[in-house]
Amino acid sequence: MFETLKKLKYGARVLLSRKGGDAETIDVRGRSTVIMHGGDGPAFVYLHSTLGEAFRWFPFYQTWSKQFTVYVPTHPGFGKSGGFDQIDTIEDMAFHYVELFDALGLGEIILGGVSLGGWIAAEFAVRWPERVKKLWLSAAPGLWVDDEPLPDLFREMTDRDKVRKRLFHDPNGYMAKLVIADDANEEQMLSAYQSMAVLARLMWERPYDPKLAERLHRVQCPTLLLWGAHDRLVPPAYGEAYRKYLPQAELKLIPDCGHMAMFEKEAEFVDAVTRFCR
Amino acid sequence: MQYYFFHLMSWPYLPPDFDSVYDSAWVWLPNSLYDPIKGADLYNDYIDTLAYADELGFDGVCVNEHHQNAYGLMPSPNLIAAALTQRTKRCKLVVIGNALPLYNPPLRVAEEFAMLDVMSRGRLVAGMVIGGGPEYYTYQINPTHARERFREALDLIVKAWTTPGPFLWNSKHYFFRYVNPWPRPLQQPHPPIWIPGAGSLETIEFVAQRRYSYMGIPYFHINVFQRVFDLFREACEKAGYTAAPEQMGWGVPIYVAETDAQARKEFEPHFRYFIKNLLKNIMLAPPGYTSARSALAIMKNRGTFLAEKESWDDIEEGVYAIVGSPETVRQKIDYYRKKLGVGVVLTGCQTGTLTHELARKSMELLAREVLPHVRDVEKTEVRRAGTPVA
Repeated sequence: MFETLKKLKYGARVLLSRKGGDAETIDVRGRSTVIMHGGDGPAFVYLHSTLGEAFRWFPFYQTWSKQFTVYVPTHPGFGKSGGFDQIDTIEDMAFHYVELFDALGLGEIILGGVSLGGWIAAEFAVRWPERVKKLWLSAAPGLWVDDEPLPDLFREMTDRDKVRKRLFHDPNGYMAKLVIADDANEEQMLSAYQSMAVLARLMWERPYDPKLAERLHRVQCPTLLLWGAHDRLVPPAYGEAYRKYLPQAELKLIPDCGHMAMFEKEAEFVDAVTRFCR
Repeated sequence: MQYYFFHLMSWPYLPPDFDSVYDSAWVWLPNSLYDPIKGADLYNDYIDTLAYADELGFDGVCVNEHHQNAYGLMPSPNLIAAALTQRTKRCKLVVIGNALPLYNPPLRVAEEFAMLDVMSRGRLVAGMVIGGGPEYYTYQINPTHARERFREALDLIVKAWTTPGPFLWNSKHYFFRYVNPWPRPLQQPHPPIWIPGAGSLETIEFVAQRRYSYMGIPYFHINVFQRVFDLFREACEKAGYTAAPEQMGWGVPIYVAETDAQARKEFEPHFRYFIKNLLKNIMLAPPGYTSARSALAIMKNRGTFLAEKESWDDIEEGVYAIVGSPETVRQKIDYYRKKLGVGVVLTGCQTGTLTHELARKSMELLAREVLPHVRDVEKTEVRRAGTPVA
């Protein structure tokens, strides 16, 4: 079956030969897509959050790359990836990824993501479950929990203190200050605006996918749900909701951690993902 | 040279501690602060004031659309305009405008504007607007599609007015099998189209290419207006024609009293209420509502926005309002209309908490002592020449 899919790789424009996190650009049905790539082993795809942490080979990618071939694509509309005009819904994002994986010749993959990236991973997995060997979602929106409505990030986004409080358990920690910097330069501000515009396009009108919960039973693989115990943007109740609807899911909470586990509790985060995916 | 009387229908009864308690006059300002008993008097007085502008000889009256806020109480300006079709006889009725992306289907705008045009016997000016940032929070309409929806809806409306129906419409955001609005507008081929803008190049170029009229939204430094109208003229030249002054409108609050000192004394506290309270969070900008570059430019230009101005000298220097005796106001209007090269002035005369009595006194002085002196001399002479001597 995957041989057939390989035939489908319409247009791998670039040979990803260089290892260790160099950015390459490939064309996915007219969408110019930046992707970083490194390591050896089973294919492991990381889908980034609205922070856009795909522009640099972060240490947690490097750790994973000792066991996996790690792919870190930049979503359409973010950073230097194009194609925003072709994306209207979260489903468009899922279709973008099936076409990207076809283009890369990736059949079965380990798939995961943080926040927005986790939501996209879930939307992918309900549509093409046979292509996902392991699935992990961290701090992912996508569902709706009546008792814990998601806060309005679009109201708070211009206030850096509020954003740090939303994203980090310790908003005064150096990681919080590093990730949400007070002295952002013009380029960083433009990039943040652009990222928030993509997020707005996907979740302004309804910050979840009303069809997702009923589709999650289609996911066939084991799933890890990894949440900061103090996530104030997408609270652990959302991890619990995913656990309820997914056939084989475990929910793991990281103590003293907020929304951005890969930055706030990197060691625990990377370790949990690696153990699960091995 | 035309002068239009603009009304926002602001809420003047915000509590004195508003500024310290609430972070916004928009979207999430609790509506328990609205009192419908007071509101009933207010709507009726405001409508009386607009009708009075017609009696006084203003060329038109303007109403506009805002949602969930204390700044302007016309979520449906078309309702007020409908009332005005029955209360005014002569002046243009300018709805400036309907926020097209907020209407689904936008055919509603084609229908209601056509109704207003027919009801007023052809006095409607049809304003079409993308809608301010706060409206996208209120109606939960996707801001990243705002411009696309606006253009599609505008094209649909103009076509609905100018092409015999029924016809089929198919665009990215709208599909209609039967476009066939009853009634059709009285003015042919359609009512004049005015588009308000806050200075984004996208809007300036669009309005110029379509040969519509561009109305500069007030509350910016006079230099911003100058740059905007220069850009507009340039854009018209690029589109192959020379801009007519009537295509450019300058929005500016005006207050006239017997002397300069009295004018400032009567006007300033009400204007301060407006600046301090009602403008709070008007610049709320949802992501994707403008291009990233425009968003950055807006951030950088924030210092030129009225809400940032504390001193009266700053307000005067930037011409954020024209306040003074008839002679002072005459001179300033005459100077700046020529400098800007505009053919339309839209003046808000009742700002913030300004009482109906003071508003009407100012309107009278403006209409009787000022405007006759700052209309186009040539046009006035032509009119005089054509008017039989009574």
